[in-house]
Amino acid sequence: MTRLLAMAPPWAKELWRLVPRVPAQVGGGISLLSFIIWALTGAGTPWFLWTWLAVWLALALVVAWRWSRLAPPGPRRSLETVGAFSLVLSINAIFNWAIGGAGYFWPIWVILGFGIAFSVYFLYLRNRGADLRPARERELTERVETLTETRRGALDVQAAELRRIERDLHDGAQARLVALSMQLGRAEEGLADRPEVAALVRQAREEATAANAELRDLARGIAPPVLTDRGLAAAVEALGSRSPVPVTVDAQLGRRPAPVIESAAYFVVAESLTNVAKHAPGARASVTIRLDREELDLVVADDGPGGADLEAGSGLDGLRRRVAALDGDLEVASPVGEGTRIEVRLPCG
Amino acid sequence: MRVVIAEDQLLLREGLIALLREHEIEVVAQAEDGEGLLRIVGAHKPDLAIVDVRLPPSFTDEGIRAAVEARRRHPDLGVLILSQYVEPVYTAELLAGGEGGVGYLLKERVGDIPAFLDAVRRVAGGGTALDREVVAELVGDRRARDDGPLDSLSPREREVLSLMAEGRTNNAIAEALVVTPGAVEKHVSNIFGKLNLPAAADDHRRVLAVLAFLRATDGG
Repeated sequence: MTRLLAMAPPWAKELWRLVPRVPAQVGGGISLLSFIIWALTGAGTPWFLWTWLAVWLALALVVAWRWSRLAPPGPRRSLETVGAFSLVLSINAIFNWAIGGAGYFWPIWVILGFGIAFSVYFLYLRNRGADLRPARERELTERVETLTETRRGALDVQAAELRRIERDLHDGAQARLVALSMQLGRAEEGLADRPEVAALVRQAREEATAANAELRDLARGIAPPVLTDRGLAAAVEALGSRSPVPVTVDAQLGRRPAPVIESAAYFVVAESLTNVAKHAPGARASVTIRLDREELDLVVADDGPGGADLEAGSGLDGLRRRVAALDGDLEVASPVGEGTRIEVRLPCG
Repeated sequence: MRVVIAEDQLLLREGLIALLREHEIEVVAQAEDGEGLLRIVGAHKPDLAIVDVRLPPSFTDEGIRAAVEARRRHPDLGVLILSQYVEPVYTAELLAGGEGGVGYLLKERVGDIPAFLDAVRRVAGGGTALDREVVAELVGDRRARDDGPLDSLSPREREVLSLMAEGRTNNAIAEALVVTPGAVEKHVSNIFGKLNLPAAADDHRRVLAVLAFLRATDGG
């Protein structure tokens, strides 16, 4: 029996596990006993088959019940219950028919009846919009939905966090440095009669100014104020006008996408234009941005020497990961001698 | 000179007021947000409003919007924007409207008190004071671009152009470059000739002509 079970297909093993042990043994005993009695009493009409049929039916109904309980509660489970019982009763009708002399195939009506009942129930559930997917598929789908949501949540939190850091720098360290410069400036004025001390104070003030400039660059690198204030189109225009290469910007957005999408798109443009300036200083670049209801499309193209590579660790690779984390994609086409074209698609439904 | 200040950070506001008072510039009112700025400008009719870009409640570019609106309502008001960062889009919006003076400086420039007071007086008097970073955005990066009219200028002429764009007078430019005012005048007329700009009578008009030219060539 064990060897036989080992060879059986997985669904059969699954069903075998659902057979109740003690009732199966008792049922097996009764079947065997009725067979022996039938054989000893002259082996006439095989009435013992009716005993077998009763035992099979009892066990099959238990298995059908247990099997349908495997699914989590819900419309799928009730559909499976109806299906399992229909199947068992249909098979039983066929057995019944076979034992009863196999004449006119009346079980067809039983099968048809159950088939129609099952179909009607299925259509009713589907019409009601019930979720009829198998449990595993449903679990996986729910898991993917949860993961997508939490990943997006994490990215949104990160974007908000970067803006908060920028704001803290602005209101904290930068404001203090400005106040410091102002006080040093006033001290310098009061030291007109001691030029050597005034020179020291002046140096200190220049240091404070330099520190503030560094903080400003840092702030712009993590969350550019113009992006927060005016959105992607204005921020990309600003990038274009700061770039040492000529840049044409064509940004048509109409609305503002989520901050995390805006900043991903912004940093793609920033990095791409930096690359153009570095590797194709004589080139011209163009930036095109379109936003429709479902996605943001971004193209940064230049007429430089091409041949850019997307190796791991490069700035472009980092950007591709950033875009991929938002379920978008970044493609680079850079044939030697034909310029470089970076295309980004970011879903933002 | 009568000045109002819109700045939400107490430390900077108090510092500015103290600094201006020390130099006999009267701060007649102060506000903490854009609405407040419009209110005190309407009530006090000052010569100059010193405005921080980032103000409550939005903490974005509230100050710029309020300043542009204040200039629209009071065209002869001088507006001096102080900010932790310069953005070309704000420069363009500020320069677009009004007859009065315009200034846009990084906050840390306040530490160079003589230069800051000079800027304050210039803007209050209807002149221009643009941060060198603002000008660099307009002039500096154009240098790398091909076939622009700025290419016809000599390096010294470009320096003079940048200083002009900041709003400085001939004398101030001469001082900064350690040359005679006469030499500056010569450079200026060369620049106007090469860029084909109409000769302008006063400093402010001259700056506007230069800025209009720079913005017209913006975008490569």
